[in-house]
Amino acid sequence: MIDLEKLRDLARETISRDDVKYLIGWKPGTHGFRISPHFVSNPEETAELIFSPLCSNNLATYLTLTEKRPVPRGEQPDTRKVALMVKGCDSRAVLQQLTEQGITKDSVYVIGCPCEGVIDIKKVEGKYPGILDQVEARWENGKISLYLPSGKVEMARDDIVAEKCLTCRYPNPVIADVSLREEVEVKGNNTFDDVKKMEAKSTQEKWAFWQGKFNSCIRCYACRNVCPMCYCEECILDKTNPTWIQRSVNISENTSFQLARAFHLAGRCVECGECERVCPVNIPLSHLNRKLVKEVMDKFGFEPGVDPEAKPLLVGYRPNDKEDFIL
Amino acid sequence: MNINPYNPHIATVQDTWYETYGDRCIKTFKVVFDDEEVRNNWSHLPGQCAMIGILGVGESMISISCSPTEGNFLRFSVMRMGNVTQSLHELEPGDKMTVRGPYGNNFPVDQWKGKNIITIGGGIGQAPLRPIIEYVKANKSEYGDLTVIYGARTSADLCFKGEFTELGKSTQTLCHLSIDIKEDDWPHYVGFVPSLLMEVNPSPENAIAITCGPPIMIKFVLQNLKKLNFADEQIYTTLENRMKCGVGKCGRCNAGNLYVCKDGPVFSYATLKSVPEAFA
Amino acid sequence: MKLNKDKLADFIATLPGKKVYGPKKSGETLKYAPVTGAADLCLTAANTTVPPKSVVFPQTETLLRFELGTTDIKTPGQESETVLLGVRPCDARAMTIVDNVFSWGVEDPYYLERRAKITLVGLACLEPCANCFCTSVGGGPASKEGLDVLMTDLGDSYLLDVLTEKGENLCQSASGLLINATGEDQEAAEKLHEKAASQISRHTDPAGIPAKLPHLWESLLWDTVSASCLGCGICTYLCPTCHCFDMQDETEGSESRRCRTWDSCMFSEYTLHASGHNPRPTRRERTRNRINHKYSYFVDKFNVIACVGCGRCINLCPVNIDLLDILSKVGEEAR
Repeated sequence: MIDLEKLRDLARETISRDDVKYLIGWKPGTHGFRISPHFVSNPEETAELIFSPLCSNNLATYLTLTEKRPVPRGEQPDTRKVALMVKGCDSRAVLQQLTEQGITKDSVYVIGCPCEGVIDIKKVEGKYPGILDQVEARWENGKISLYLPSGKVEMARDDIVAEKCLTCRYPNPVIADVSLREEVEVKGNNTFDDVKKMEAKSTQEKWAFWQGKFNSCIRCYACRNVCPMCYCEECILDKTNPTWIQRSVNISENTSFQLARAFHLAGRCVECGECERVCPVNIPLSHLNRKLVKEVMDKFGFEPGVDPEAKPLLVGYRPNDKEDFIL
Repeated sequence: MNINPYNPHIATVQDTWYETYGDRCIKTFKVVFDDEEVRNNWSHLPGQCAMIGILGVGESMISISCSPTEGNFLRFSVMRMGNVTQSLHELEPGDKMTVRGPYGNNFPVDQWKGKNIITIGGGIGQAPLRPIIEYVKANKSEYGDLTVIYGARTSADLCFKGEFTELGKSTQTLCHLSIDIKEDDWPHYVGFVPSLLMEVNPSPENAIAITCGPPIMIKFVLQNLKKLNFADEQIYTTLENRMKCGVGKCGRCNAGNLYVCKDGPVFSYATLKSVPEAFA
Repeated sequence: MKLNKDKLADFIATLPGKKVYGPKKSGETLKYAPVTGAADLCLTAANTTVPPKSVVFPQTETLLRFELGTTDIKTPGQESETVLLGVRPCDARAMTIVDNVFSWGVEDPYYLERRAKITLVGLACLEPCANCFCTSVGGGPASKEGLDVLMTDLGDSYLLDVLTEKGENLCQSASGLLINATGEDQEAAEKLHEKAASQISRHTDPAGIPAKLPHLWESLLWDTVSASCLGCGICTYLCPTCHCFDMQDETEGSESRRCRTWDSCMFSEYTLHASGHNPRPTRRERTRNRINHKYSYFVDKFNVIACVGCGRCINLCPVNIDLLDILSKVGEEAR
């Protein structure tokens, strides 16, 4: 059970700190099951903050997405922290950004929110379409309750949560300056069953599967933009000198894009599942990224965003690294 | 297919030379259309631009920096900045370039008949102003006095250097050059163009002022023109923006509700002062 | 006229020599794709994710072809006759709005020739989606604007309302399959249309917005609404009235082409100059531009709001940036 009063008190305390610029959390969206990221600059605005099974947005992406405006002459840059509410997976993104030095520790104040699993919005909107009134959801009694206009519905957790939550080993934030509540039970394990199922297919079957998906890609780049690990100042997709990936939308360029991004995430993807959530044409991006997560686990025994002492995987080596894939 | 605005004409480079050197060097190209019919049917007025480019690389919108009175050719002065302009700079006489246009509106040279014309340019900004100067020269009986104010960072950065000596010889033309930083052997004004403007102190009476150059220069020139009592309708400038189609379809070159490729690039200050994105 | 549903496949077959596109499921995504029979057509309540603008204005289109090093330019061949089946009234209205751009001043032959060869057979919406607001912006679930034929689902048949000469020609070739509709059929259809319009739950009043927007240029409202924006292309690519495009020269070996592809004003490089200067450097300026373009600049130029209330941007924005929320903030903001 989430104590909303406690959440808002904590937020008010945080935003009142001298060293905090603003706070990013979640608030109920404009309709139905939707949630809006909420940028809080003063204590009054904390009244809308919530934390519920609907809060799937990984807010860590805003740490690198928010543009730094030029500082007007005579003024000093505002170096105060951004306070961020994070679930377990989100916190892995923050930790990985710190590991890569994409952000510095003194720029962020982490509010850890232990999470029992977030609802798959596509599943729930498929089951209960057309709801405009804001819906509340809660973790109650080991289940997920939906407070629909027609009444309360209890659902078994595994029936309604996102696929990523089924394999989640880090429901409790791996990094936090303060925590919203006590830690929750770890419910997932990573036997990579989904990846192994794909690996078992023949090359032709695999290509037929991915060709069908990549053909749907409209190159909206929502997956890249939402990803907390995609924050290159000049993305390879936007370069024209040389043009690594052409702008035309066809199976060849789409495949190049998807594979390039998946490889750029090798050793960095924290499996937050946002890419798959935001894709408007339902490309199962987590399958692609988790294949590389498995490769990295098999070959290097490495998981990004869990060990504060770790260095980024691909910038170093260990003498006993496997070499069997090198001819 | 009906007239295809995206299908460019082919032109051959007749002559090319550097105006300035360095990282952002400027090269002028004198080109002639390959197709006789295109050559004969082409007409443009000062202020208009064309999409020039190289097949396989792309296109850039560049102002036509010659007056139609100069002859049956086109001139473009291109600053080397990105992919397309870099490839254009590699062209030598005999090489081909694609040209489509003329695009955009023109300086209202007809409306300006009988008036005194003052051009105020900085750096590469002189390129769209040059056709006005040549046009007024060629039709001098129809215009009042011509005042040319032009400056650049250093004397090496001045474009069309050879042409100013000739200009200065005409009794109807006053030519004022400036450079920002003092140099030995520089006999003219040293200082920024907006300050030179105040020195020249042109009268707003029956006059039109046209300015083009770096945004910071335009900002101060506009301020100074207002100090000299020029009305908004007497002041003209050209805008630029990233362009792709050049014909008002791809959507990107707008400043507020004005499309620079189609509603512009020529705008009076009277129009622009209420457009917040005009000087973004 | 009426077409019994069991004759739909035959109807499609009467359109020989014409490419037929209709809403089809591709995986889990509904979009417009070639259909050969009635079986793969999906005329359910929901609108497609990708609007039918993808047929009239393809996401990637070759404008010119040439061999590198030569100046021999080839342009693509003739378009073929196409029928778009099951188009929702909002999407058809959107096409008439976009037509303005492609015929403004210089005519775009690629778009206009394709458009001239397309016949739009619309389907009235009987169950508007939660975020539809077509009635607020000059449309409606049974609007006829832009359509050649409007079909209404009467249960076991479709009532056909023939609206243009093109629509008539289309029905001529299928005349053997069509039966007469009665006055009761017409009444039943009208009742369904009215019911659908009354089911639209989200509204906005755009009346004062085009005139008000220029006064809100410096408002903090743009910072608020753009703070969570990801800067992706979902709202623009899936909007039926968005038309911005990029042009690129692409080469493979010695074969080269100049093509155009959809582009989005929400991308950071959209207005990036070669010099590095960007007149719209952050999401705030780009969001402000987008809303102004649709609800102000387009009105200045073409006297119509470039929005048909299809709701796709609201449905698909991953961070719940809601156009109706923005418009209501614009309405509330002091001048």
